[in-house]
Amino acid sequence: MAKHPTPLLDELEKGPWPSFVTALKKQAETKPECWDLLGQLELSYKDRITHWKHGGIVGVFGYGGGVVGRYSDRPDLFPGVEHFHTMRINQPSGMYYTTKHLRAMMDLWEKYGSGVTNMHGSTGDMILLGCRTESLELMFYDMTHQLDQDLGGSGSNLRTPSCCLGESRCEWACYDTQEACYTLTQQYQDELHRPAFPYKFKFKFSGCPNDCVAAIARCDFAVIGTWKDEIRIDQEAVKKYIANDPAFPSNAGAHKGRDWGKFDIQKEVIDLCPTHCMKMDGDKLVIDNAECTRCMHCINVMPRALRPGLEKGATISIGAKAPILEGAQFATLVVPFVKVTKEDDFAGLTEYIEKIWDWWMEVGKNRERVGETMQRVGLPTFLKVMEIEPLPQHVKEPRSNPYIFWREDEVPGGWERDIVEFRKRHAA
Amino acid sequence: MALSVEDLKKAIIEKASKAPKPQLYIKDFYECDPDAKPRDIKKIANQLVTEGELMFWSSGSTTMYARPDRIKNEEKNI
Repeated sequence: MAKHPTPLLDELEKGPWPSFVTALKKQAETKPECWDLLGQLELSYKDRITHWKHGGIVGVFGYGGGVVGRYSDRPDLFPGVEHFHTMRINQPSGMYYTTKHLRAMMDLWEKYGSGVTNMHGSTGDMILLGCRTESLELMFYDMTHQLDQDLGGSGSNLRTPSCCLGESRCEWACYDTQEACYTLTQQYQDELHRPAFPYKFKFKFSGCPNDCVAAIARCDFAVIGTWKDEIRIDQEAVKKYIANDPAFPSNAGAHKGRDWGKFDIQKEVIDLCPTHCMKMDGDKLVIDNAECTRCMHCINVMPRALRPGLEKGATISIGAKAPILEGAQFATLVVPFVKVTKEDDFAGLTEYIEKIWDWWMEVGKNRERVGETMQRVGLPTFLKVMEIEPLPQHVKEPRSNPYIFWREDEVPGGWERDIVEFRKRHAA
Repeated sequence: MALSVEDLKKAIIEKASKAPKPQLYIKDFYECDPDAKPRDIKKIANQLVTEGELMFWSSGSTTMYARPDRIKNEEKNI
């Protein structure tokens, strides 16, 4: 029986789609605090203002992250959500769980919390919504001791690293994303649990340029798989695609629910190549690999004919963020190619990560993401910090370079010139 | 580090006790010993949390440090 009338929320149950209102009403049958959750949300819709107070001293002992405090500002009306803290749980690499583990996690959450979850949050964690302050330590103890399950990151910490499925299921993975994610999560436990930075810092690991975890747009340090050599071509398979062989459907049959007509390699692949580096030479597909930007389109369309090259590694792009304090920002390519391997404990990545942290901890302003610090100081300064020489890959094309400025000592003759001599050739 | 660990701890506690607002960013402690590396300051601040002299205050997106008595007083008055 509903505790509060919710006419505005009830509207959200009327569409053909699943409704969180219906789910919360069902949950409220066993967890009555969910009635107060619905009641408070209804009031927020009516008042057009949030009734959550966020932030505070909640947390588990020794951890500076993983719990986000939430309090109701109307506990008189909604005592069930007086405390309704969020716990962020570190998801396993690639989000592979056993159902046994998930059931055990949910049993704990039903015992200590509201049972309400968000699978998964935008950083990748399992989000458990609704815990009272006195239950946090109990939940944390059981979770860590019974299930070997840790909290994730929040606040000015390293946030929970996340990765794509990588080599476990994907033939395009150019490095072992899950191993990289796990190893770096273990290596940087201190940064994950105890605040060290001016603001949040996120890693994401994508195995190929399809970038299934959206690293290029969503994290401060994006590791995106790539290759250095040539796209591997199976010319016989190319012919089968061109001949519309049913065993070789374009896009691996992903859109075959509708009749799109015959596959046309010119229209669907060659003309769509962003750098125009492909052509047909007779019945052979030819790629000018030096011009390829690794967009993956041709490989996605003809997966049985084209594959990434064999010299595999990753590109490191730095400084992306979603809009919170400032606007959204895409990552800037900083290291075009690096080997990413367990054999050297991912030294190719940690070398850059630690250089960035040491610099950013010193020069970053409070609540400034590393991408914003980069923008403030400029790319040339940032490259110097990273001890990287400016590279052709840092600019879009010659003479449209927004970043790299020459210093006087780098230019023969410096800035000094004979202005009279110059004006003889160039009138004012 | 120009200060010894004990002196740095004292300086951090003093800063956290006397700052106008009870919540401080980790960067606010850098001035306690300008010669120390940010990582060392962070390490000492976290030791002080373990010892109960400081505690974490989190807004969810940002984590700050505070003296437990000051922050508890502030939270009571909200």
